[in-house]
Amino acid sequence: MNPPPPPRSLVAELTYRCPLGCLYCSNPVELAKSRAELSTADWSRAFAQAAALGVMQLHLTGGEPLLRDDLTELAAAARACDLYINLITSGAGLNEARLDALRAAGLDHVQLSLQDAGEAGADYVAGVRTHRRKIATARMIARLKIPLTLNFVVHRLNLDRVGAMIDLAAELGARRVELASAQFHGWALLNRAHLMPAREQNDRAEEIVRAAAERLRGVIEVVFVRNDYLAGRPKPCMGGWGRGTIVIDPAGRAMPCQAAASIRGLEFPDVRSATLEEIWRDSPVFNAFRGYDWMKEPCRSCPERERDFGGCRCQAFALAGDATATDPACALSPHHRTVLAARTESPASSEPIYRAAEGGRAAFSRQ
Amino acid sequence: MDAAAMERRGMNSDAGGAWRPRLAAGVRIRVDPADGRERLLFPEAALELNETAAAIIRLCDGRRALAEIVRELAGQFGDATALARETEEFLAAMRERRLVE
Ligand code: SF4
Ligand code: SF4
Repeated sequence: MNPPPPPRSLVAELTYRCPLGCLYCSNPVELAKSRAELSTADWSRAFAQAAALGVMQLHLTGGEPLLRDDLTELAAAARACDLYINLITSGAGLNEARLDALRAAGLDHVQLSLQDAGEAGADYVAGVRTHRRKIATARMIARLKIPLTLNFVVHRLNLDRVGAMIDLAAELGARRVELASAQFHGWALLNRAHLMPAREQNDRAEEIVRAAAERLRGVIEVVFVRNDYLAGRPKPCMGGWGRGTIVIDPAGRAMPCQAAASIRGLEFPDVRSATLEEIWRDSPVFNAFRGYDWMKEPCRSCPERERDFGGCRCQAFALAGDATATDPACALSPHHRTVLAARTESPASSEPIYRAAEGGRAAFSRQ
Repeated sequence: MDAAAMERRGMNSDAGGAWRPRLAAGVRIRVDPADGRERLLFPEAALELNETAAAIIRLCDGRRALAEIVRELAGQFGDATALARETEEFLAAMRERRLVE
């Protein structure tokens, strides 16, 4: 086999710890049992190997990456190998001194998550009181002239307010606002009945987004990431398995996608015992779904396969029980009915399940 | 490009003429060691730049006006009228995406 083209981005999940408990969190439900996280030196070595391999962009994420005390050091290490550094954060734990230090270390951009346009809705989804501080944090980032993207994960509980979200983002001085439909991995899959929007609600929201994008052209970039359950077509997940991205989880396991650990039976190489080059080129897990040979029908003979790569492997495993199956989000999948059924699931009796934050808090008490 | 042509392209208007484009904060240009090509880095992508685009971007330093950028490149990249239009369209698109300001 020819060596694969080089990876372009590295997603560094620095920790799974997080003070928030978002209903839509896509972190694994079985958070890595051991708390052992990679050391500063381990991460720095991984950054250098990634850059040498062809990676240009680094996304520092988690959990909440600000919970790493060595975050500034890590940014400096990444900058030393000329990586573009994007910090993906809930903002919890960010103050001006720290942000200043991060910038001095080489931070290029911040992507801040907000849960809704208003406080009540946002704090309900996050499971903790956090919205007000996030707004203050966004203003601080803008004041320090650090380029900012605001990211709203959108779903049934907040889709009616996309217009207000976009206006808020523009008012806060963000250069870009992403309205990303909840993807049903991790906690979001557990809470799917609560989060899955009705088609009409979704279409209304998309229309509002389209109009706002037009109106705010040149002021703020407005992006909507569609709900693949409603689209009838899968997403080209990660731009294809092992085609451009390496994810490293807090414990040092390298994977092709942030949800890959949800696929049972895959073994992930540890960045402490192999180089990223070896992992990228040779590891069975990165090669598992490269190219088209692993595909089954209908993907195997479908011309769309070059564009969507048969969709998301993790979703195929979760919904069809087979990681080599066509993503059930695709209308051509023999398992598409599970997706159709999910569209009409009713949240009726059950309470949503909050991701247990630090210390095993079982659920958010609303008062 | 003569003055009349620049006028037609709107490059003497306030919007075009006074604009001194520069890369927005958080946008960097760098050579890709993998293939030696220049890429524009921002959070969502590493955009591959063709030779003309890379040359334009390198002149977006906030000091040169749009017309000056075109003038400097005219010698290098053939037909001035086509170049002016290309530069203008390219930079307008970049501005819309808030990569250039
Ligand atoms: S709980 Fe919320 S903020 Fe924390 S990692 Fe999950 S989605 Fe991100
Ligand atoms: S059958 Fe497979 S390749 Fe064709 S559109 Fe569906 S997911 Fe994509």
